[in-house]
Amino acid sequence: MKILRFLLIILLYFTFNIQNIIADETKMLKGLEIFNETAACAGCHTMKAAGAEGNVGPNLDTVDLTVESVIDMVTYGLGVMPAYGEDEILTTEEIEIVSKYVVNSAGK
Amino acid sequence: MRKIEKKLNLKRRSFLASTASIAGLAATASVVPISISSANHNDGEKGLPDFINWKDRDALIVHSDKGIETHRSAIGESLITPNRNVYIRNNMPTMTDAQIGNRNDWRVSIEGVKNPKTFTLAQLKKLGHTTVATILQCSGNGRGFFEHKVRGSQWKTGAAACVFWTGVPMKAVVDACGGINGEAVFMTSAGVDHEPTGLDPKKAMVERSVPKKAFKDAMLAWEMNGVSLPNAHGGPLRMVTPGYFGINNVKHLGKVAFTAKESSVKYMKKSYRISPIGKKGSQYPSCWEMPVKSWITRPTDETGTVRAGKVQIVGVAMGGTKKIRSVKVSTDGGKSWNRAKFIGPDLGKFAWRQFAYEANLSSGTYNIASLASNGSKKQPELRMENRRGYAHNGWKDHSVNITVV
Repeated sequence: MKILRFLLIILLYFTFNIQNIIADETKMLKGLEIFNETAACAGCHTMKAAGAEGNVGPNLDTVDLTVESVIDMVTYGLGVMPAYGEDEILTTEEIEIVSKYVVNSAGK
Repeated sequence: MRKIEKKLNLKRRSFLASTASIAGLAATASVVPISISSANHNDGEKGLPDFINWKDRDALIVHSDKGIETHRSAIGESLITPNRNVYIRNNMPTMTDAQIGNRNDWRVSIEGVKNPKTFTLAQLKKLGHTTVATILQCSGNGRGFFEHKVRGSQWKTGAAACVFWTGVPMKAVVDACGGINGEAVFMTSAGVDHEPTGLDPKKAMVERSVPKKAFKDAMLAWEMNGVSLPNAHGGPLRMVTPGYFGINNVKHLGKVAFTAKESSVKYMKKSYRISPIGKKGSQYPSCWEMPVKSWITRPTDETGTVRAGKVQIVGVAMGGTKKIRSVKVSTDGGKSWNRAKFIGPDLGKFAWRQFAYEANLSSGTYNIASLASNGSKKQPELRMENRRGYAHNGWKDHSVNITVV
């Protein structure tokens, strides 16, 4: 009985983690799509992980980033960078996804 | 579409691989000390982006490949800031030699004058010749002292330099065009560095209007500290507006127009406006004339502990668009002030002046500050709070703490 309970716990643990991994991976792929296509961040920024070689804004592989700072920058823009949130170019959810993607991918 | 899918698949593998190595990276980071100044540089020579690999890495703090600050103690012990130490702040990518072509064939059009003309750089060199020392300072110099979360490079003191410019006075150019049209209120300068990017000029063109009166002191510069104006600093031709913040000194200059209205591009209408925190808009003042300001360059927390006894407290002071008149130094956090001496040559009201105050300090910790005056205005104690962290000249934030042993 104990063995069965143990195996059940192990099974649930792996199922839960696999779902999380799949969910994270899906969000990362969505983030990459927003970065390269929807918001076209790649046109202005370099980030090796996305294959981006833009040279208008800072090279994202060389700056210190936090999810909070990227969300702020993407939402409100700066200089030539559009205010993706304020101007409703991206949804709040898309901004969060692309920001997490950038922070997870920059410098790698 | 197939190409996108390929890239997504490729990046998916890359993401999974990077996830697996996170633990390894964290372990490395915990044993390797990383300082702010060296943690975020490029892979290029000396850790500097390729377009400025000729600069002195040790003199610079790299915020990003587009925002590079001079260390407080490296802005120039001999008054002028050497090119290799001058900060970098570019809104558009620096133009390459290939994009610029033959420098003497570079063209600038002059409009809003009686006889509009286009001059090549070679033709400009025949119109007049002058050399002026001015302070080049980013509007956001001092942003790093603001406590609200301000977007942009967190400059402390090093987005500033004192530079010799050589070129033609704008007045000589205007005279060659028969004078300014009567209705002009602004001098509007436009760069062409946005053109290779293909971005919308309304959003990307650096076009700046300043009050027309600025043309009397302005010049079109092709040399910086005795060498051909580096591309990274706007070569081959740059507008220089003495006494005005850096953004108005337009790089890669393609047009100067005397206009009845301010430019309508984003960099004029929306950016560089000094607005209250939480507010924005073109109704707020633009970053034009620089205010009176000073700061200490030695000793600082960068220069280590100081030996007890006589200590030379050295710094730089600027009057903005007026001549600097006096500087006082405090060694007790502003409770008492002593007049400092100006040292070195006076290069005119648009250059900064070095100052020195000899203090006799025993062991202990000190907060040392400087307070400049141009006769009509002096530095405030506190910063002027504003949304984008512009025009900071408060003396308190610019003070330094030193330890004397």
